[in-house]
Order: sequence, then C-alpha cells, then structure tokens
Amino acid sequence: MSDTSAPPSGVRRREFLKVLGATGAATAAIGCTSSHVEKLIPYLVQPDNDNTVPGVSTYFATTCRECAASCGVLAEARDGRTFKLEGNPEHPLNRGALCARGQAAVQGLLNPDRYRGPRMRRGNAWANITWDEAIALLAQKLAGVQGAASVFLNRHESGAFPAFLDQWLSAHGLAPHLSYDPLLDGAVVQANLQSYGVAWPAIDFTAARLIVSFGADFLETWGASVPQQLSFADARARGAQAPRFVYIGPRRSLTGLNADTWIPCAPGSELAIARALVGNGSLDDVATQSGAPADALRALRSELESASPALFLSGANVRNAFELALAVNDLNRSHGSVGSALLPDRAIAAFEGASRDADVIDALDRMRRGQVALLFVRGVNPVHTLPAAAGVADALAKVPFKVSFSSYPDATSELCDLILPDNHPLESWGIAQPLAGEMSLQQPAMRPLFDTRATGDVLIDVAHRTAASSRFGMTSYRDWIIEQYPGGVRAFTAALEKGVAPGRVAGRMSAPRSTTAAAAATPAITPLAEGEFHLVVYPHPALGEGSGANKPWLQEMPDPVSKVSWQSWIEVHPTVAKRLDIVPGSVLRVETSAGHVDAPAFVYPGIRPDTVAIALGRGHTAYGRFAEGIGINPLTAVPVALHPGAGVLALSGAHAQVHTVDAFDELVTTEGSARQHDRGIAQVVPVTALLSREERSRLPQTVANVRMPQAENAPAEGGEEEEEYPGKPDTDFLPGLRSAVAADAQGELVSKNAKDRGMYALDHWSGMAKRRWAMTIDLARCTGCSACITACYAENNVPTVGAPYQSTRTPGYQGRPGANILRGREMTWMRVERYYEGNVEDSSFEARFVPMLCQHCGNAPCEPVCPVYATYHSPDGLNVQVYNRCVGTRYCSNNCPYKVRYFNWFGFGEANRTQYAWPEPLHLQLNPDVNVRGKGVMEKCTFCVQRIREAESRARLEGREVQPDEFTTSCAQACPSRAIIFGDAASPDWTVSHVAADERGYHVFPELNTYTAVVYLKKIVHPAPPEAPSGA
Amino acid sequence: MTMRKWVVVPGFLALAAAAIVLSAYSGASTPQGRKPQQPIAFPHPTHVAGLGMNCLYCHFAANKAPDPGLPAVNTCMGCHLVVGPSRPASQFGPARTSAEITKLQQYWNAKKPIPWIRIHKVPDYVQFPHMRHVNAGVSCQTCHGEIQNMPVVYQAKPLSMGWCINCHTGRSNPPFKARYDCSTCHY
Repeated sequence: MSDTSAPPSGVRRREFLKVLGATGAATAAIGCTSSHVEKLIPYLVQPDNDNTVPGVSTYFATTCRECAASCGVLAEARDGRTFKLEGNPEHPLNRGALCARGQAAVQGLLNPDRYRGPRMRRGNAWANITWDEAIALLAQKLAGVQGAASVFLNRHESGAFPAFLDQWLSAHGLAPHLSYDPLLDGAVVQANLQSYGVAWPAIDFTAARLIVSFGADFLETWGASVPQQLSFADARARGAQAPRFVYIGPRRSLTGLNADTWIPCAPGSELAIARALVGNGSLDDVATQSGAPADALRALRSELESASPALFLSGANVRNAFELALAVNDLNRSHGSVGSALLPDRAIAAFEGASRDADVIDALDRMRRGQVALLFVRGVNPVHTLPAAAGVADALAKVPFKVSFSSYPDATSELCDLILPDNHPLESWGIAQPLAGEMSLQQPAMRPLFDTRATGDVLIDVAHRTAASSRFGMTSYRDWIIEQYPGGVRAFTAALEKGVAPGRVAGRMSAPRSTTAAAAATPAITPLAEGEFHLVVYPHPALGEGSGANKPWLQEMPDPVSKVSWQSWIEVHPTVAKRLDIVPGSVLRVETSAGHVDAPAFVYPGIRPDTVAIALGRGHTAYGRFAEGIGINPLTAVPVALHPGAGVLALSGAHAQVHTVDAFDELVTTEGSARQHDRGIAQVVPVTALLSREERSRLPQTVANVRMPQAENAPAEGGEEEEEYPGKPDTDFLPGLRSAVAADAQGELVSKNAKDRGMYALDHWSGMAKRRWAMTIDLARCTGCSACITACYAENNVPTVGAPYQSTRTPGYQGRPGANILRGREMTWMRVERYYEGNVEDSSFEARFVPMLCQHCGNAPCEPVCPVYATYHSPDGLNVQVYNRCVGTRYCSNNCPYKVRYFNWFGFGEANRTQYAWPEPLHLQLNPDVNVRGKGVMEKCTFCVQRIREAESRARLEGREVQPDEFTTSCAQACPSRAIIFGDAASPDWTVSHVAADERGYHVFPELNTYTAVVYLKKIVHPAPPEAPSGA
Repeated sequence: MTMRKWVVVPGFLALAAAAIVLSAYSGASTPQGRKPQQPIAFPHPTHVAGLGMNCLYCHFAANKAPDPGLPAVNTCMGCHLVVGPSRPASQFGPARTSAEITKLQQYWNAKKPIPWIRIHKVPDYVQFPHMRHVNAGVSCQTCHGEIQNMPVVYQAKPLSMGWCINCHTGRSNPPFKARYDCSTCHY
C-alpha cells in the first residue's frame, strides 16, 4: 500500500536466477529431439538377389488401365512400394508420354478409401468375411442360375480378361458379359465398324492439311487421347506445313480452344453442317438451322476445296451422333484422308468388343422385370455414370443377389450384397491389346496392399468349387494368361522386361454385334422453345465420367478450360449472364424433363448463348473422402435418349430451363485474370511470319555459338546494336540464354577483387558453373492438357490442399471443398494459365495456354529480398530454395513477378495435422528423393533438382560425365505433346540449347531483366486463308 | 507489481530466445553420443575386428546406392545357421553360449525382421548419398566413428551441418574435394 513496500525496479538477483533456471529447462526440452525412436527394419530375405538396392528405384513395365486405351507405363517402385508412373518410351501407343489420369493411377492404388477385404451385407450393415467364405458363398449362389438370368457388367478393357471372363461364364452356363465403357464414343465405333470394319482407326494428324472436328475432343477423353495428342502436337509444330484446325460444336472444349477457328452450332445440327459440306443442302439454310455463322461455313467449304487431305472427326454426343459419324466417314473418304490421316489398317484395338449402351439399358430392363437373379459388377459404376432417369438403382433393387468386384466403395457397390474387392491394376497380371498387332503386358508393380484378390483368381477359385472345375485346372489367372500367350511362359517372362510384344491374344468368343442400322431414321432435332437452352454434358478431362474423382491430384488439377477445381460449374455465355443478371459463382438451376441440378455459373465465352454445359465426373454419393459431396452429377437432369439403330446413349442435346437460385457459391479457381493486359505472357506468331527453312539455316544454330562470348577480353562493342550487359563473361552464368547475367545475382563472387569465386568460377573442378539448366516450352505444341501439373505433384511431393477435411480449420469455410484454394493457398508448383485474346463477345476469340513455373531467373528478384539466404542462385543456374533455412517471411513471393512461389500456410506435409495431404496409405506415394515441406516454409519448382543430382551421382558412379539428354524433368517426361524440353543450355550437345535458339523463342517479362532460364516458343497461329471471292 | 511483470516477462523471453539460439549453434541439440539398447546386442568388434569382415559384406549397397543397406536376416543366418548359440572351447576362445545368437535365431524362426533402432540419421531435408562419399574415399569411420571397436554402437560424430561443411570445404585432414553449394544436399 505504501510507497516503501513497492519493490525496487529492475530485476533482482533471485528473480534473475529463477528466470535463468526456467530458460534452461525450456532449452533442454527443445533440444531433446533424439528421444524420438525410429526403427530400421531390414528384409527377412533379401529379394531378387542383388537387383533390389536400397535407395535405388526398380521399374516395372506394365499397362495403365485408367481408360480403355491401355498405354504402357513404367511403375517406379522402391522398397516394395510403387510411387510414380511414367510413360513407357518403348510402347508404340504412348511413346513415353502419360496423361494426368494415367499418372493418378497410383492414387487409386494407394487410396485411403479402398476396400480392405471382402465383405457382405447382413441386413443393413456390412460384415467383414474371409475369402474362403466369400468364394464358397459365390459358388453356392451360382448354382441354379442359368443363361441370361445372370448379368456380368465389366468395365470395357481389351486383351485377355474379356475372353477369360466369357469362358468362365460359359463354363457356368451363363450369358456372355457386357463390356461397358461410359467414356467410349459408341456412335463413332458403330459407324467405323460399318465403314471400315474396325472400331477405331489410328489417326495421323501430320498427314492432314485441315482438321475439322465435329465435337470430337481428341485431346481429352475422345478415343486414345495420348497418342492423338502426340500426333496432333507433331502436326501443329510443323510450322507452314501444319494443318489448320476447325472445331464445330456448341461449346469450345479444351480441344476446341486449340482450334484456329470455332464454328459454334446448336447441338444436333452438326449433321446438317456435315451434309452441307458434301453439297447436300444450301449452306444458308444450314446456317439458319444450326445457328452457325454462314460466312464461316462458306469459308470452310472454300477452304476444303484446296486442303487435301482434310481429316474429319465426329464426337458430338447428340441424338444423331451415329448419322453424323457416318457422314463424317463419307467426308473423310471424299477428302482423301482414309489411308493417309485415318488409318483403318493400323487400328487401335483397345476399343474393340465394347458393348452398346442399348445392351446395358436392356439388361437394366430385364433386372427391372425381375428376370435377373445374379448381377456381377466389376470396375464400373452405372448408378453414377448412367442418367438417373435410367433408374439403375431401382433396377438393381430387383436383383436378389448382387456381387461387386469394385476396389472402392461407390454408388453401385453400396447397393450390392457381396463385395469381392479386385486388386488394383498395378497389383495385377494381365494382357491388353492396345493395337491390333501389339500386346501390352501388365504385371504387378507392388504386392496387394490390402486383403484384395484379382478377380481372375477369385473366379478360378470359384470354378474349383463348381461343376466347371475341369475347365479351370490352373491355380491362378496368371497361369491362365500364360497358357494363352503365344510362346508360353518363357516368351511371356522375356516380354515383361519391355512391357510390349508383337502379337495378339485370343479375343472374346462372342464379339458384340455391329450395327447395320440404316441412317435414314435420323432422330429429329427439335428447335428450342422460347427461353429454353440446349444442355451439353461432357466428360471432365481429368475425372472422366467420374472414376477419377477419388484421386486428389485430379480433383485439384484445375479444369483446363474453366480453371475450376474441387467443384462443379455450369457454363453460360456472357450475354446470358448479363441477361440473368448473374456473376461467376451465382448458383443456377438447370431443369429438364428428367430432373434438375444446381451449380454455380462459370461465365464462358466459348459456349453458344443458347446453350449451357456441365461436366460429368463429380457429384458422387459414395466414393471416398476425396469425392463424396463434391460437385454435382449432371446426369440427374439428362433424359434417356437411346439411338434406335445404333443403340447409343446421347447425353447432350436435351432442352433445359435455366433459373437463377438465390445463392452464391464462390468458384474455386486458380485463375487470376483471363486477359493478358498487354503483358506478353503468351505470345504468338502468324505462320506467315515464320522464316522459311533457307532463311533459318543462315541463322546461328545453337545457343552456345550465339551467346558464348568468343573473345573474353574484347567487350561486345564491335556489334552494331548489341546490348551491353553487366558482368564479365568468365564469371557470368553461361550467357544466361539470352544475355549475360546481371552481376548482382552472384554478389561479391563476381567482383574483380574476389580471390576465390568458389564454385561460381568457370574453372572450378566441380564444373558446376559450366552448366546452365534451362527449359524450353513450345506453345505451338502445348495444348493446355495439364498432364505436367499432375506429373509435378507426383514427383515433388506437392500437397493437394482442397479436400473437404483440409478446410476444417478455416473459419467460414468449414468442410468446404477447395477452401484453401479460395484463400489462395494452392501449392501447384506448375500451373497452366489460359488467356483469351480477341473479342470474347463473338466466337472468334483465341485461347492461349502457358505453363507457368519458376523461371529460374539468372537475376532473380526473389533472391536479394530473402533475409536469411534461403533462396539463392546455384552455380549451375538453379534458383534454389533451401527449406530448412526458410523462416517464412514470404518476401520472395511478394517480389516474384511470375507468382510461382507457394507458401505452406498449414502443415500439409505433417502427418499429425488435420490438413495432412497424404492420409495413410497415400503417404506411400511420397517420392523418397524429395523432402516433404513443413508448415511455414516457402516452396517452388526446383527444376527437379533431385533428378539432376541423381544423374550426376549415377554418372560419377560410372566414371563419366552426364550425357546430353540423359534425363529430364517430370513435367517434360509426361508431356503428351512433347512441348517441354529440359537440359543444359550452355552445352550445344543438349537439345534444349538448339531449341532455345529458335526464332520463336522469347522470355516472359524480359523488361524486368530477370534473364529467365525458361524460354517459351511463340504459339503459331494459322489465320484462315483469304476467302475465294467466288464463294457462296 | 506491474513494474516487475514488465521486466520479468520480456526478460524471460529474451533469455529463452538467446538460450535457444546458443544451444542450436553449440551443437547441444545433436544426438551425439546416443547409445540406445538394440534388440540384439550385435558386436561389431567380433565381426569386423575379430573376423575381419568387410563392411560391405553386410552393408552391401554403401558403395553403389544412396542407402548403405542393412543386412537381411538371411544374411546373418548364412553364417549363424552353422555358428550357433553354444560354442565349444576352441582357438577362438573358451566355451560359451550366446544369448544374442539365440535371439537372432528366434527372429529367423518366427520369420520376423529385427527391429533395429536407428542411430545415425540426418534430417529429412538433407540428402546423404552414401556411394558418393564411399567412392570418394571417405572411410566409414569418418562419419560413424571407430565402429569396428564399438561393442555397442553409438553416434560418435555430431552429424551437424557445420561438421559436414568442414569436410566439404576442404578443411579436413586429409582434405577432400566436395561441393558445398546448398543444393548439393538440400532439396
């Protein structure tokens, strides 16, 4: 109370000691990190003698089964776990490339929501059972079921399994199976069978002079996308010899955005246009009927007169799709592309033998009438992939016993009685038949992760318990396929090394009948009533019909067109948005005779004003934590429209009402601006402005001889217009691709007074400074498909951040899919930017795609602002981020003009946090060569430095130098259009140094003097040829 | 009272911060000297110093892979099928029974791998390729200490960054030539 009792100010001795003691205790607690016990578990028996080396990957050549095309893959495994898929360079179909869906197969393999063992329904609950019980139960249920009283619905695949399955079914007296592929364009297959006798001719885009696609999205899900994309990119990179590309359809898909000309037409009117192009009907009438601009059609017809061969493709999923496909086949014949650009004798066999949609619908009808006693479902999810109006769930309810071989819980398996989870394709044996004369072998890259069994093995075990046992003497499905394999076990084992072998396995015993439907009964396309819209439904480029939705990479990968992730959207034209007074994200209701769906609007100039479009793939009711409750399934609002002759379902073309709903659902998008605002990020050059070959041959050929300063002592003053750059050549990075690098990038190491320039000296023994790792991205090849994004996630342990469970700590967004992305916390090291050019009010706008990643600037703005030296420039030209030095100030990100640095706002890489991106067993997918970053750390593209160091280590081990083009980055390796080239630009032996010297090369934001290591090659645009004055 | 709080609290924080920084730089937080009890007391001296076995016999990948490799149980059993737990008196010494070999055989018979406790570990953000070091002539002992004489293995060296850099910048005796750029090890 009194002044005298107040303590003196300052710290007294006793208090000081107390504080010191407590501090010491705190330090001891922090320092005590070694108490964490980590185990080292050796093998019991060393596998493969000496082939398994710890820390070195083993590669298994196998086959991707994510779509029917069956690309060859190399599965990278270490210590018994498969963590990465790459294209098999020896495979004739995909030649080393791999799409995003194929790469994400490992996330299916290691999916945390897989069935972990067999189970059966007991009342309303699931009971886990043993395989013995399951097999005995199935054998018992088989007794007494005959012929068509059983339906086996299998996911369409090529090769040995369909034949095996039919053999097994016939041994049990059951009807052949249905081979259902919701992604396959059945109309085209039926028409091709009729026109050429094969389901899918190979397509060689390089042979065409003009490509006309009627809604065929050949860069996405139509056909075998990887080989098509490889060929398309090859064709488009040919400069003046490249074909022009015209896309006809109601909506510009990713493929449509790659076209030089888009002719928007109402869904269903493609047929009339195709017929008018061969001369049936007047173009003006067709233009009125289809809503397509008449002058564009006239221009196309006159262009067709000189462009030969012209390749036509049809893929519109409308009621007259079959007639359209036939008309397109006629066009191909009359325009000389059959045998040149379209090769029926090099058919893609993967699509042979698929059932027609009508057969599946017919089976559903029989179920509904109670004629089916036993249903098998394997690898398909008809409840999700058929229109709700088809009543799949009701039909299934009438079947007394339903068996699912699904690996994951899904809407169909949830309705079944017995679950016999199949091995993942990466755990299975098999033979696929991608091409008529080439087999693609499938071998396990990993032991089964859970208590699952290959369906083939299960069926053989069942057969052993039934009357059919005499026909299945073998013990496993592997034995069965080896029996079928030409040359037997020895040839099979030898071929496994490569993964492909010439030859053909015995196909199905009863191939589904081909249609001979007359084209006359063309279903009429009814015009829209007032206020109505056409509804277009299309497969999502990454999620497909929905099977990809449980893989977080594919959910997180922004849709190449809309750049929306973790969400469904409804595409509407800007004029419609204005009329309805909505903004992007306003919820719309699309209502048809079949039902309605609600989803946020995405305002998209690439759609007709009388059309709305919704992607398939989302809206799962049961498919694991990465799919459930995310987005909507437009099939709720799609009526069943079956072509009477061809038996093909048409998903697009229904008439719909569009209403506004009083709700707002912010779009989960990674897009900043759809416009470049004159920044010159994505540049183009008209094909006419390209130098001729002779002119080009007079140019210096490599970066090295363009930019290596020849005379070190003579500054470049002799050159007339030569720009002078600071820094001396002998201390520069090798001439920084375009120029010498600014001195401040190397700080005092470049100073004349420095005694020791260390590894930055060109003559340092390590030779690091002699290299300049660099990349070229050819925008004439890039299609924007985004396979590189997934490849980057796979290689670099980049976390996905959008799953609903990862947003539980974000106030206001709890449980919202993509909440972290809405808050700008995405981690995608590589993104593909999409820019519109020209007038987006009409159909003439152009789209450009730019993959954007760390540019590894020679003079990087991020480096000088780091207060702790966590980012710096390595002597070999990398902009390095040292995670353990980073303290998370984010100054570097603020100063990065390319916005390619990403900050770990949460512990996405820490297993004990709610935002953890790899819930068990997904963590097995992590690349052991790359550090998983923790919370509070900045990260970015490293140019796959782990691959650089691995190649250097390998070379050192073998006593040699790193060979030119010996390795490449993950994105470059996956790229299905071969747009990305990586290497040492300072050495003329690497391809990248030649490509970087191309006349189309440019740097993004050169005015900032960043001297980037990424050189973009300008996209080549092909303007329409001047119209013949005599047209119309 | 308030005066005192204003002095003590920041004072505490400042001292704590200083102590943390000091402890980090002093190497006090490295687990140097750690000597955990292993499931089997494997005697390196008996095998290396006594029998003259090469390190690469068991750690077979140290010269060709980033990971040195840990012997599979069948590698141990290759000898210990014959060399059993009880040994009669011979030139190698008096008769004895080994509880450790009994344990090894129990693991083998149960078909279970031996759950060794990891001693030498660099953080996850450090890449340490063994083969680069072994092939450059760095002896095992440089990093692992006189392991051939350790009846129970312990961490002899700090394995801290400063300790690594010492060699990488050529300050060891004899000096090695090595890169010391950050991205040599950190990625």
